[in-house]
Amino acid sequence: MSQTKRKPTSAAVDTGETLPDLAELCRIHEIGLDLIDRSHDLDELLDRVLEEYQSRLAALPSDALDPRSGAPQPESLRKLRGLVMFATQAAALKEKAVAALELKRRATMLEATNARLDGVLSALSSGVMIFDATGACLKANEAARRLAGTKDDAALARLIESGVPHDGEAEIELPDDGGGRRVVLVSRRAMAGDPGSAVVLLTDITQRSHAVEERVRLEKLAGVLKTLSVLSHKINNPLTALLGRAQILQSQQSADPRVAKAAAVIEESSTRIAELIRELAQVVREGRQESVDDLLDMSTTSGTTGSAR
Amino acid sequence: MNVDVVRQGTAWRLSVRGCEAIDCANAHLVKAEALRLLGNASDIVVDLRGVEFLDSAGVGVLVGLFKHARLRGGRARFCGLTPGVRTVLELIQLDRIFEIVDDAEAAVRS
Repeated sequence: MSQTKRKPTSAAVDTGETLPDLAELCRIHEIGLDLIDRSHDLDELLDRVLEEYQSRLAALPSDALDPRSGAPQPESLRKLRGLVMFATQAAALKEKAVAALELKRRATMLEATNARLDGVLSALSSGVMIFDATGACLKANEAARRLAGTKDDAALARLIESGVPHDGEAEIELPDDGGGRRVVLVSRRAMAGDPGSAVVLLTDITQRSHAVEERVRLEKLAGVLKTLSVLSHKINNPLTALLGRAQILQSQQSADPRVAKAAAVIEESSTRIAELIRELAQVVREGRQESVDDLLDMSTTSGTTGSAR
Repeated sequence: MNVDVVRQGTAWRLSVRGCEAIDCANAHLVKAEALRLLGNASDIVVDLRGVEFLDSAGVGVLVGLFKHARLRGGRARFCGLTPGVRTVLELIQLDRIFEIVDDAEAAVRS
């Protein structure tokens, strides 16, 4: 059997020509994996990229990029192709690393901003709570939890939802640490740029509420004192006349003894009334609730005594 | 061929004059002179006006300047790219690695 020399087929030629490309592809793939490993650190990535770049540039024949040399040789083209493939991968990874670095920078800034916000919220004596659109509490400072008197955010959210109008405010009574009640002014405002979310401000107005009650009491006391002042003045004039006439009747020797006795009772009672009016005047001058209470107490006692007589 | 380095603000502006190409014939001279003049400068603006062509050796010079700045904790920016230089940098994707600016004056101010 004669052996004939086989002519290389075009496939064999192609295979022979592409093997270096295949090796280059594998090499670039290997470098690509290395770059991906380093892509979490932009500096490290760039160092590796530049190192590989320099190595490839040094191995690149001068005609590969120089149009003055005419058409590049196949070997030059192969190396240039390898450089471009590597560079494309490297550039894409570099851009991702830059984006990741920017994201990290912004995340760090955001964390710092959040920490500052938490610091500000902690320093506030008023309570601040932030609710999302579903009613879940996203943030609450210490004062809010103290004023709310509960760690149950959901229960508090329900209380606010039912008791405080949107973009309005309401006074709510909540339990305090001592077993008593505190009055809390709760203001609810929509969060700009975040539909459905709300920021809630809680302010303890228990003291303010007491102050309002005290002011109302003092206003009432002032009214009572004014009335007493007017009454004592108006009673005093006819009383003086009454007392004077009783004294005249007693001084008349010819008067009927019964009249004289009645005049004496009138004089005594008038004198007593006059004393009461002086005490009233004293109470008005002092302007104290205790004085009014003492006077009323004394009057009741006197009245009882008088009835017994 | 002449390499100038001038300080402008915090940046050092490096200009290559008197040569249309940075190639294997002069790349080693350009690189050596540039690095000598830059010393420890870390903020570099490389002005490539007047350079019409780069071959692989010329590209190597730019990569070397880029590394020089990075090694010193700074940065290198490239400006004044002619169409020929831009084409080469785009072909080998270095335009995506390097920081390329259009205006040298703005670059030294930023």
